[in-house]
Amino acid sequence: MERRDFLKISAAGGAAAALEGCGNPDHQLIRFVPEEDLIPGIATWKPSICTQCPAGCGLLVRVMQGEAEVVRKGQLGLIKMGLAKKLEGNPNHPINQGRLCPRGQTGLQVTYHPDRIRTPLARTGPRGSGQYQEITWDDAIKQLVAQLSPLQADKKDGQVAFVTSPLRGVRKNIVNGFATALSNRPRTEFAFFDGSVSQAANFTSFGFDAPPTVDLGRSSYVISFGADFLGTWNSPVAQSIGYGTMRKGRPGQRGKFVQVEPRISQTGAIADEWIPCQPGTEGVFALSLAHVILAEKLRPGSAEGPASSPIEGWSQGLLDYAPEKVAAQIGTSPETISRIAREAAANSPAVVLIGDAATAHTNGFFNAVAVNALNALLGSVGKPGGIFFNLVWVPPNPMATLARLRNLKAVTEAYVASSIQDLAQTVSSNPNFVKLLLLYNANPVFATPQNWHVREALEKIPFIASFGSFIDETSILADLILPDHSPLESWLDDAPPSGSLRTIASLAPPAMMPLHNTRAMPDVLLDVAHQLGGDLAKALPWKTYDEALQAAFAALYKEQGSKAAKDADEFWTKTQDQGGWWSVEENTAPSAAEMMYGVPLKMTPEFDGSASEFPFHLLPYASQMQYDGSLSHLPWMQEAPDPLSSVMWGTWVEINTRTAAKLGIKQGDLLEVASQHGSLQAPAFVTPGIAPDAVAMPIGQGHTSFTRYAQDRGANPISILAPVTVSGIGSLAWSATRVKVSRIGKGKMVLFGGSLAETPAETKHR
Amino acid sequence: MTVLGWALFKSSPRAEAQSSPSPSPSSEVFTTAHRTVLEAVREYFGIRSKPVQPIAYTHKVHLANGMQCTDCHVGVDRGPDARIPSVNFCMTCHQVIATDKPEIKKLAAYRARGEDIPWQRVYGFQTSAHVKFNHAPHIRAGVDCKLCHGDMTKQTVAERKVDHTMGFCVECHRQQKASVDCVTCHY
Repeated sequence: MERRDFLKISAAGGAAAALEGCGNPDHQLIRFVPEEDLIPGIATWKPSICTQCPAGCGLLVRVMQGEAEVVRKGQLGLIKMGLAKKLEGNPNHPINQGRLCPRGQTGLQVTYHPDRIRTPLARTGPRGSGQYQEITWDDAIKQLVAQLSPLQADKKDGQVAFVTSPLRGVRKNIVNGFATALSNRPRTEFAFFDGSVSQAANFTSFGFDAPPTVDLGRSSYVISFGADFLGTWNSPVAQSIGYGTMRKGRPGQRGKFVQVEPRISQTGAIADEWIPCQPGTEGVFALSLAHVILAEKLRPGSAEGPASSPIEGWSQGLLDYAPEKVAAQIGTSPETISRIAREAAANSPAVVLIGDAATAHTNGFFNAVAVNALNALLGSVGKPGGIFFNLVWVPPNPMATLARLRNLKAVTEAYVASSIQDLAQTVSSNPNFVKLLLLYNANPVFATPQNWHVREALEKIPFIASFGSFIDETSILADLILPDHSPLESWLDDAPPSGSLRTIASLAPPAMMPLHNTRAMPDVLLDVAHQLGGDLAKALPWKTYDEALQAAFAALYKEQGSKAAKDADEFWTKTQDQGGWWSVEENTAPSAAEMMYGVPLKMTPEFDGSASEFPFHLLPYASQMQYDGSLSHLPWMQEAPDPLSSVMWGTWVEINTRTAAKLGIKQGDLLEVASQHGSLQAPAFVTPGIAPDAVAMPIGQGHTSFTRYAQDRGANPISILAPVTVSGIGSLAWSATRVKVSRIGKGKMVLFGGSLAETPAETKHR
Repeated sequence: MTVLGWALFKSSPRAEAQSSPSPSPSSEVFTTAHRTVLEAVREYFGIRSKPVQPIAYTHKVHLANGMQCTDCHVGVDRGPDARIPSVNFCMTCHQVIATDKPEIKKLAAYRARGEDIPWQRVYGFQTSAHVKFNHAPHIRAGVDCKLCHGDMTKQTVAERKVDHTMGFCVECHRQQKASVDCVTCHY
């Protein structure tokens, strides 16, 4: 049969099944009684919060009556219910102002994912086999309580570990309160892109342990060291809006933008100037700019204030950083450095950003502190067109109750500081110490170098319970799975620290009812806390998550909300309608807190592997679509072409055009990329947008277990990274690995456009 | 080719999926829109069978007792579709009214099992016709329900008394001086 014939048959038969469908009601799926009153065909827009990345944008969810195939009481059937159909940005929200990025749009697929965990599961096969049996919620909670209550009675500190993705607001408080009250072990927060280096640098330079909010819209000159601020770094939607204003929003004035990075990013691709520097020389570059400004007295004296004090030699005018001395090391010309410095000083307000790979070298902390000093010298800290540090909403904390109960002087947020690496080491060296692990949305087995042996360590913990909605590399180790609602089915709150100059307390009720037999993670924790009793129940006095939220917003009303509503109840409903509360005033001047200085700065980057044996720097980067790999399970994200390479459904290795020619590598050839710690294979993507001695790979693919769409697809560059850390911080220096590259044969790579060139050489004109 | 076509439709796993005990709601296998070729042919020529309703609901009795169409079919004046009441809505009255009638017992049994009534569709356009119909503007223009749905005071379960052909729609649009532009309905 030819394709055409097949299409004819399909056309005759394929139109619609709905009308007659099954003429006899006995043959139909049963229909469950709808639980909500909806008018068919009429859409409502409900506010929600995007949880796809840490930016915390506000959403509007289009909800309409639809029919969903669901399981109720073990029976498959249909139910008429309000279903989320489309996500857009919330125009009232100060961060994204009605806009939404592709990752945010795809948030819809989390709810309807065919491989979502629909009901609590108990492990039946060996650990890691992914064999589970469905159980009821009563059983699941009974099992968890049975595991936890002897540990609680034991009163030994640190026996229960809680590993989560970064959390904020009331959700964070509930988890922190639970973890600390249960076994006095701080919650371990894990994310591959955790921003810890920038935050520590901001604390050292300015006294703020926070990411900056960049006022791009009022800036005239922007220098970015490696920060992909229009794609994935910090608060990309807010920054894209600001960037638009900077370029086109002010008639007659178009701000200039310079990107400094060894591999051109999506953001670098639209810069006026791209300066490919040697990996790890970003801080030297910044100080060289500062040298020129100081030497030529382009800025008023001592404008930089205390932010320069960590930098050695600043008071002598940074003589070691004269452009002639460092240009060769950076990989640019002294003239370029001097010119950029003069331009930045002349075009006030100028702002300098640093992020991503620039802070992920062993000297990343130095790079960030150097950039902070340059920002201070340019007078852009806390000034329009510069960087700000926001006042973050801090809801009332159960830790304070705990401190009172236990007669502790202070229980601070520093309690959250234990890292996944520390946890893995503790477990490996003392296997009987941590008895139980609780997991929520973090996937450290995927996103840590193999050399940290996180999987091996976690496997030693006798009991693991996960609250995640999908079985990934980490939660496949779980003995018990208590699936959370999807974000659209759940109450949500958020306190984003950057992206807007206003203080924000985002709040959203569920946009739709749960499709499956799931429960909200905070509700489960509160339920378990009450069953366990003791300090735990006292520290977490609320019955449900929404009760905790209501208490937090009542406190916020007392402090801030008197202008917004006439009483706490009205405030509570109004904030829900709007998607949250935000301060009327913008925070304009930072009041620097106490500084903590004393970490020695390491100036020179170190790389794992010798330059002769491993000639290339491996530069992993955040995938525009899959971010850190936590979005690879969403088919829209797999299908969406990368904005620069247009590759879909896979990984690729970016290699410089000339280097590739020298090595006889052609577009699409399968390469082996090997570090001292492992190797992987991926097709080559030949591009002029990368330094000749570097190769770059997007992070996100290479999952061994993460639903049908992500599993066994592409390669994971994190797996071959060296276990080196950022000096003075301890987080992974993920740009500090050297690799060798060899051609293996022909590879397979799907490009959206077929080719990057506008008229592909292979295409013959017909 | 036709034989192969048969095989294609016959082997459709749709029918099997319904008897399968697996609770997985979506099939991973490509399925055809129709279980049999006959079904496909019938749709192609617009031959439709008479819907079999699970309960012999009587419009006649309800209307004779003074109820209005919009008492149950809520939202018809506000949106594209009128709501078909859920079993809960029926039971607000039938908790006490006519509880001994066999059809009402069926109704109560549905409610007791936590199931809604699987009503069969009576009217409606085929997807392939690309017709978008919106009730609300018709109700606002004062079109009587009777005009398109027949006189319900004489029917028990709803029957297809009026044939919704394009000619039927256009004629009325012409009389009422409503738009007969193609994109009014086909978009």
